[in-house]
Formats: sequence, C-alpha cells, structure tokens
Amino acid sequence: MIQILTRYCTLLVLTLLVLAVMSFSLAYLFPGDTLENLTGLVPENEAQREALERQFKLDSSVVLQFFYYLGNLLVGDWGYSFTSGLPLLEEVGIALPATIELATYAMLMALFVGIPLGYYAGIRCYSTTDHILNSASMTTYSFPVFWFALLLILVFSLQLDAAPLSGRISLLYDVPRVTGFILVDVLLSDLDNKSLAFKDALSHIALPTFAIGAITTASLIRITRRSVIDVKHRPYIAAAVSRGLSSWQIFTRHILRNALLPILPLMAIQITTLITNAMIVETLFSWPGIGNWLIQAIYQRDYPALRIGMMAVSTLVITLTILVDLFNRIIDPSREKYEHAAV
Amino acid sequence: MYMGVVKRLTVALCTALLIVSCAKQNKKAFYNTGIIYCSESNPVTFNPQLDTSSTTSDATSHQLYDRLLDFDPDSGRIVPSLASSWLVTNDGLTYAFQLRRDVKFHQTHYFTPTRNFNADDVIFSINRWRLPSHPYHSVSGGRYPYFESLGLAQNIASVERVNGYRVEITLHRRDSSFLANLATDFAVILSQEYATTLFEAGSPSKIDILPVGTGPFKFESYRKDRFIKYLRHEDYWRKSELRGDDNVASSAEDFDNRSNVDANWQDNVQLNGNISNDDVTNVQQLIFDITPRSSLRLAKLMTGECDATAFPAQTELEVIRARNDLTLAEKPGLNIGFWAFNTQRPPFDNPDVRRALAAAIDKNTLLEAVYFDSATRAKTLLPAASWAFQNDADDTAYNPVLARQLLANAGVKEGFSMTIWAMPVERAYNPNATKMAELIQRYLQDVGIEATIVSYDWATFRRHLQDGLHDSVLIGWSADNGDPDNFYRPLLSCGAIPSGTNRAMWCDEDYDRLLNEALKTDDIDERTAIYHQVNRLLYERLPLVPIAHAYRYQAYREELNGVVINPFGGVRFGGVEKTL
Amino acid sequence: MPQFSLYEEEFHPSPWQRTWAAFRSSHIAMVGLVMLGCFVFFALFAPIITPYDATEQNIDGLLIPPSWTANGVISHLFGTDALGRDLFTRIIYGCRITLGTAFITVVLAMLVGVSLGTFAGMLRGVRSSIANHLLDALMAIPTLLIAIIIVAILGAGLLNSMWAITLALIPQFVHHTRSFVRAEMKKDYIVASKLDGANRWQLFVHSILPNMIETLVVQGTLALSIAVIDISALGFLNLGAQSPLPELGVILADGLDAAYLAPWNVAVPGTAIFLMVLSINIVGDGLRSALRKRVSH
Repeated sequence: MIQILTRYCTLLVLTLLVLAVMSFSLAYLFPGDTLENLTGLVPENEAQREALERQFKLDSSVVLQFFYYLGNLLVGDWGYSFTSGLPLLEEVGIALPATIELATYAMLMALFVGIPLGYYAGIRCYSTTDHILNSASMTTYSFPVFWFALLLILVFSLQLDAAPLSGRISLLYDVPRVTGFILVDVLLSDLDNKSLAFKDALSHIALPTFAIGAITTASLIRITRRSVIDVKHRPYIAAAVSRGLSSWQIFTRHILRNALLPILPLMAIQITTLITNAMIVETLFSWPGIGNWLIQAIYQRDYPALRIGMMAVSTLVITLTILVDLFNRIIDPSREKYEHAAV
Repeated sequence: MYMGVVKRLTVALCTALLIVSCAKQNKKAFYNTGIIYCSESNPVTFNPQLDTSSTTSDATSHQLYDRLLDFDPDSGRIVPSLASSWLVTNDGLTYAFQLRRDVKFHQTHYFTPTRNFNADDVIFSINRWRLPSHPYHSVSGGRYPYFESLGLAQNIASVERVNGYRVEITLHRRDSSFLANLATDFAVILSQEYATTLFEAGSPSKIDILPVGTGPFKFESYRKDRFIKYLRHEDYWRKSELRGDDNVASSAEDFDNRSNVDANWQDNVQLNGNISNDDVTNVQQLIFDITPRSSLRLAKLMTGECDATAFPAQTELEVIRARNDLTLAEKPGLNIGFWAFNTQRPPFDNPDVRRALAAAIDKNTLLEAVYFDSATRAKTLLPAASWAFQNDADDTAYNPVLARQLLANAGVKEGFSMTIWAMPVERAYNPNATKMAELIQRYLQDVGIEATIVSYDWATFRRHLQDGLHDSVLIGWSADNGDPDNFYRPLLSCGAIPSGTNRAMWCDEDYDRLLNEALKTDDIDERTAIYHQVNRLLYERLPLVPIAHAYRYQAYREELNGVVINPFGGVRFGGVEKTL
Repeated sequence: MPQFSLYEEEFHPSPWQRTWAAFRSSHIAMVGLVMLGCFVFFALFAPIITPYDATEQNIDGLLIPPSWTANGVISHLFGTDALGRDLFTRIIYGCRITLGTAFITVVLAMLVGVSLGTFAGMLRGVRSSIANHLLDALMAIPTLLIAIIIVAILGAGLLNSMWAITLALIPQFVHHTRSFVRAEMKKDYIVASKLDGANRWQLFVHSILPNMIETLVVQGTLALSIAVIDISALGFLNLGAQSPLPELGVILADGLDAAYLAPWNVAVPGTAIFLMVLSINIVGDGLRSALRKRVSH
C-alpha cells in the first residue's frame, strides 16, 4: 500500500516538475520580451529593467533561473497579468473555482444519470429501450458542444425565457467571495434576500451544467453499457444463471461491481474532455471561469496569464487523473496495465 | 430497479422546473432597485477630461459628474446645471457664472466631503487642464485632448473667484461657442477638497481612478472587462418636486443681491426650466455590464439581463423593433458621413470635376445599401439635431449625363483612374465604408472613371490620410457639442489641415472668414444666417460630398421610464426609473 | 462409388470480408456509411459541384433565406450570409476543409503514435515504466489548452491548429498501441517468430501490424470524430482557421452576429458538423461491433 502511494506521489511530483519546466520555457517561446513574459511587469527604464533582471536571475544560467521560478511558483508569487495588472494568483483564484464548480456539477449529473441509464441499457441490451437509449446517447455524443450550448441558449434563454445566459449570478447581488463556489458563497453570506440570490445563482448555473453534462452523460451511458454487456457475456454470469439466481441477485452480486471497474480508467479521459468542454462553454455563457479567462488572454496576447493558466489547468487535470488512477489501483490490484519495472 | 431510475429522474426534473419558475416570480421586487446597462467596452479612465472616447464619456460624464451647463436633449439649447445663471459682457470676453448652492459631493468609502460645492471646485477643474504649472496638470498623463484640440487653454485669460459662489472667466478673443464647450461631456467639475486630500496623501492619480463628483451616482467598484458598479447618490441636488421654479427663484435672488449692476453686462440668463426630467430615482444601483459583442448585448437585452444596451448593430434594429417588450429610441445623431476629395491634387482641385463626381453617384442607393434606413440623407454638413440646420439647403442630384459633360469639359479623359480610400473600421456615420466604396466604384464606371479601393489598418490609414496620399476618402465626423462651429471648423478650415481632421486638405479664405464672423456674434439668428452662407459656398465649391447623418440608437426594456437619448453627449441614467 | 462433387468449393472468407459482412448486416451502420460517403464526396469534389466561389461577396443579396422558405431563391440553396456569400458553397468547402484537415491530422497522429507506441511496447525495464507513466499523465492535458499554447507561440491559423490537434491525438494512439503490442508480445506466434530468428522490425511488420490494423481503424474513426469536433471548435473560437476561410466552425462563428435575423446561418453549419460527426461515430460503432462479432465467433 505504502509502495503504491509512494509510486504515485513520485509520479505526481515528476509530472508537475515537467509541467513547471514547460511553463518556464514558455516565457522564452512566447513572442515578446522574456523578462516581461516571465514577470508580467513592464520595466519603465533601464535601471528598473536591470533590477528586475537581477531579481529574477536572468543574468545567470538558465538552471538557476528555473529554480528561482520554481520557488516563486511554490510561494504563490506568480507575476502579474498584462491586461488587468492584477496579480495572477488572485485572477486564477477567482477563475479556477468557477470552472471547478461547473465541472463538478456536470460530473455529478453525468454520474447520477449516466451510469444508472447505462446499466439499464446494458441489462436490457438489444431491446427497444436499449436501442432508443443507445441512439439518443450516440446523437447527444455527436453534438459539437458549442453548437449544443448555442441551441440551448436559443431555445431556453431567448425563446422560452426560462434561464439567463450570462454570468454566475445577477450583477445586482454583491456576494462576498469566500470559497469561490457561488452556491456555497451565497449560502454563507448574509444578504437580505438570500433565497432569491440562491435561486438566481441556480438558474444561472442550470444551462451551462446541462450543456456540458449532457455530453458527458452520453459518453458515460455508452461506456457503462458496453461494460455491462461485456460482463454479461462472461462465463461466470452464465454459471450464475444456470445455478438459478434471479436477475436481481445476479445484478447486485455480480454485474454491478464488475461492470463498474473498467469504467474507472476511462473516467480519466472523460475528465479531460469535460474540462475542455467546460472551457468552450464558458465563453458562450460568459461564465467567469478559467476557460473564458484563458481564451480572453490569448485574444489579448497576455503571455504571463497564459503561462500560469496552462500550469494551473494542467496541474488540476493531472492531479485528478492521477487520483483516479490511484483509486483504481487500490480497489483493483489485478490490473496488469500498471506493470512494475521488470528487469 | 428501473422504476427507481425513472422516479429519480422525474423528481429531479420537477424540482428543476419548480426552481426555475419560482425564480421568475420573485424577481420583480428586488430587480427594480437596480439598472443594468450593457456597455460595449472599458472606460479608459474615470475622468472624462482626459479622454475623448465615447465609452469613457458614457460611463462617467452624466453618471458621476455634473457640468456648469448642460444641453437640453430636445431643443439643443444650453440650460443651467451647476451654474444656476450666467452673464456675459457686451464685448463677449467675460463670463460670470453664479453657482448653485447646496450641491453635495459624493460620500464614498474612500472620501467624505466636509463642504458643499463652491467656486473653488470650478476653479480647480478648469485650471487643471488650463495651466501647465498646476500641480494636478500632469497627473494621469497630462493630456486633455478635447480642450487641447480647441486651443481653449490659450484663449482663456483668467479664471477668477469673485466670491464663494461666483466665478468670472475672461477670454482673449470672442468665442460664441465657449458656453457650448462648457456644456460638453468633457467639462466636468471635480472636487477640489478631494484633490487636496489625495495630494497630501501622496496619491494624486487616484482622483481619476476612484472618482468623486456631484452626479446622480457615486462610484462603488470596477472590474476590468466585467462591470462598473455605481450606487445612488442620496443627496443629489436635482429633486423632482423642485422643477424649474425653485432654481429660477434662486437665480432671481442673486439678481437682486447683485452689487455691481453694470450696464455693460448683458443678460443672458436662460430661465428655460427644461432641466430634463426628474433627476430623482428609486434606483439604488446602476451597473455597467461590459459586453464587447453586440449580438450578446442584444441577447442579454432580450432575456432581461440588461435593461438597456449600447450601440445596437444595424442588423439587430429590426429585431428590437419587432418585440413588444423592447423599445428602440432613435434620434438623428450629431454626425456626418462624407466623401472627401483631396483638393490639393489635380484634377480634384477643379470644382467642376468635384461637382461631376458628386453628380455621378446616387446618394439614395448608398443610404439604403449601407445604412439600412438608419440614416437620413445629408445635404450639408450639419444634421437636423443642430440649431443651425438648414432644411432647404441646395443638394447635389444624381445626374450621370451632367457628370460626363462636366468631366469632358474639364478635360478628364475616359478611363481616368482614381483611388477611393475606405476606412477599415465601423462607425455610426459609416458602418461599412468598403461596401460604399464598391458601390461608388460602380457608379464611377458608368461615367467612365476607373476607381480602385484602398484600405489599411486604422492607425496606418489615419497616418497616410494626414500625409495626403489619397485621391478621395470615405470617412466622417461625430461632433462633441451642439455648436455648428464644431462641425465646420475641424473639417474644412485651413487651421485643421496640420491637425489632420481636414481630410479634403482644403483651405479657402472666404470660408474661414465666414466661420470667424459667426463666432463673433452671440445672436443665434445672425449665426444661422452666416452658416447658411457657408452652406452655399460649400455647395458651389464642393470639397466634399455629404452623404448621410446617421441616427443614434438606444435600445432598452419597457420597464425603464425616463430614458432620453442625448444627441449631444453620453448616455444618462440620472432620471431613469424602473417599474414593473 | 462415392459421389464426389467437383464444383463445391470451400469458401473461407478472409477476415476483412467477414468484418464487412457483419458491418453490412447492421442497417444503421450502412446509413452512417452512406452519409460519410456523401461528406467524403463533397470533400473531394468541392470545386466541381459548387455553383459559386466560396469567398465571393454579393452585395445585393445579403442574408437571403434558404430556398425552402417563402423568400428564398433556388439559386442560393441555403441562402446567403451577412456579406452575401452563398452558404451552400461555403458549407461544401467547409466539409472539405474540416474533414480533410481532420483526416490529415488523424493520419499524422496515427503514424507518430503507432511508431512511438510500438517502440515503447517493445521496450522493457525501468525506462519503459517511467516513460509510460509520464506519457499517461501528459495525455491528460486538454486539447484546447495545447491549442491555446501553440497559437500563442506560433500564431493563429489552420496549420497551427492542426499541430495542436495532432499533438493531442498522439497519446491515445501511443497508449493503445503500447498495450496492444505488449499483449501480443506474450502470445505464442510471436515467440515462434522470434525463435525463427526474426528481428524486431520484421516482428512488427509481418506479425504484429497485420493484427493491429483493424483496431487501428476503429481507433482512427474515434480519433477522426474527436478531430472534427476539435477543429471546428478551434475555428469557432477564432484560434484555428481564420475568416474568410470557409471552415465549418468559422462559418458558425460568422453567422452568430446575425443569428436573430438569419438563424439559418447558425443552424446549417452546426447541422453539417453534427451530421459529419454522427456519421463517423455510427461507422466507427458499426466497425467495432462487426469486429467484435468476428472475433467472438
């Protein structure tokens, strides 16, 4: 157990280090002045430039620079954004929780809707219900996420006037930022009309979550269904049937857990797709998350923001992926995928 | 097993629907306390003296500040604001302003005023841009583009404090557009007490970042690319029950109390009580939601996430008109789109050639195709919104036969080639210069002229225009105040060639003489008559072909009352109320 | 005398024929194949079948509705956009660009991914373990992020977005190939070839690759649908193909500004992308089921 944990920790640290190297090298690769890309500050005169260069060790070797940079990263001194001039730590601290909130709700929706539906489709495979579910999930899965979001906006926001299409909460509310998650913050705040604000926040989060969640749900349905069908055709299920277990017993004792296992590794890819979709949908809904922030940064060529944003998102995704892998490994040590070094 | 799933789904769906529908009903009460305005971009600063872009003026000028004088949005006349009355000497060189009493500055989380508005604030606000030696002159950049372009600082000889509520401004030369310039969005009144406090604390530039004024709203917070939040100024001096009358009374009082009744003083008090609508409001918050894309602004307007929106695009106007819950207010704007010839280049220095080219194009087609009915045909430089507008002015007509004749007489051969420079950006006065250029190209082909369309990126374009590299250019002008001089002088006077606003590179002595004459008199009818003469001169010599005056549009939801389009300045929310 | 039949032959269908037969038996898969065939046809013969030029602006005919509405004209089948360009032409060219670029991206990613994967699969030792884990972890970086970084370094454009998507697709191929190769290396026929004296290259080309092709094709269709969505997403966000290039995502973004006056500008390109991805998915699904049926018999 400890061995597995240490292995994964080492892996995480190594990967993060590689990411840090990539993020550092971006300061050189991006067009423009390296010093400005690295710090986000524009020196006004020669004296300031030299002082900054000495501070960031730009006059010494690249390795030293990198270690200084790494130190800054760990402390939280991430530099400043070109466009807004605010410290990047603050910007990312506002933007990242917004995306995490959106992704979490979408994932929860996918898990609680997709997996049960997938089981259902798998159990009743090749029946009419299964065909309907399969085609529906295939169709939803094939929608480009930005078009799907556009359709939702056109139908629900503009035609039916059922949900708003921009922002996290109406600008009339002044919700103090505590955790960064708007629903939690509304509940924690001491506004006069808290329930009204909560409903407002819910209505704002409804459409984006559905846009992302529907597509993830569709893929989860397909994955689960495939896994259930695979399990159903295993010999031990036939043996169980021949032993006389009822379908409910077979389901709870054998299919449920065995079908769940192969899904977990595929969750990692789902998380990646989820975050990508969230980033695209954020621009359509003016959701102030990290995707929207990064895309605005690329339009305005805000290089320090891009550097740090890439680092932040990659760290988030990789940590989640490694956690899922670790979880997978712990509950199912029989997998051969993760081979040890066989010398 | 599956019944559980179906049940779960139905319950989830029902709760979602319930939440969404409940949200709508309770909306109204709370949402009437705030107005959300979809603006198109960030303001550069919170002090409109420092910048000329309309975004900055819209965001700040009528919300945070007041001016000494204002324009009445309907008639265009100058009405009192912070100056309750004023007198001008007969020689037109000295202006005395009687200031309003009991005007309170904003009390915010960063400043608490200890005194009311008085003459010191006026003197500070004017001297800041007038005197390079003023301690605040170079704060936040030291550029005051509007005042610099007028040369106003050079023309003002002195600004004197007569007493706590009276200021006298003396000019070097007569300038009948002086009062109009004081009523523009840029001539706002800042708080001198705040300035001193900041200066002593060592952070003077905060005066333009955390602003303090006397306007109907006070600054709360600003997040770049997201929003500006304003709160209502409870002690705002404009109250609804005191419409014009009480203000008249206060100025009459001052009349009687005036110690030196000098016979030289000319009475020019505007007792016109048309101080716009009620400037009191039940609105507690005003929020500018910064949304650069116009289709998104329209969408937010339709769902109600914004109550009013800036700059609806041409293609969206029909949609707004078709909906019952939205109102599209339109007013003829103070702008002109024109086709200017480079009169320093032959053969465009020949007025006959210019007249031929003007007769070769059909302005009505241009209006339909490029402006989609959102503009009126322009006969002269001045639009209908100006008080000097001449409705019966002479206008060129579409006459290709005449065009060919004039060209032949002037010796221009068939197949003569010229360039049409089309500006690459969209403006209200010309939303699609490239399209217009293509249409003109086709008309010119019919009279035997080959035209090529030239364009660059905006900054390069303006630079090349200033160097006079063009044969003709499609461009325009938006005025800053209601004074006609603001159209005629920057566009065609000799002095405007070096500053780059005279695109026709035209210099005519008679024209300049007439313009200066018009400034010497204050009588509106006299000035109008002179401007009619100017129009006639322009029709004969035709350095440019006026094409269109575009409308100004404002789109807002039916819940807003009291929205008035201000053709002479930025958007104003002071008197706007929100009802069910 | 026993009757011997001269004319009966034993018919052993090859694996490809068996797959094809299984594929054909599913109606939906055939419909998908036909749809995909249409798109490929559009992509290949775009200049021949389109009536207008893709960037030709017609100033007199702006925002003409599609031909099936009351105000439409048959000369513009899908109507025109805000600059007067014929939408039908643009969609056909858009299919060409989107599908073509996606195809090239997938082929490139496949080549690189398969080589890397085989190499990693044949390796043994600590190096391979580290490399594998690192690659798995790096596989997790979202496509959009890679695209943003590449656009920041190299600038926007269709070519640069292709690099981004190729980079994003490679890890999948590597992962898949590696596990496949590793699983195959343990099988007896490989051991037999090794005993025969085959070196690594010959092992790969003659033994492993033929067995891998089918799964590769299935992986390829999966990657193709992802590539199409990613290319159009990048075009939509203005990070990939730039206007006036008629890529489907760009056409969608262009139509967004006039979305209320002219909803067909948004509906038609979106439907085109949707149908393209749907047909690829259906074909991919059909292939996978066909393969499974063949293997399980």
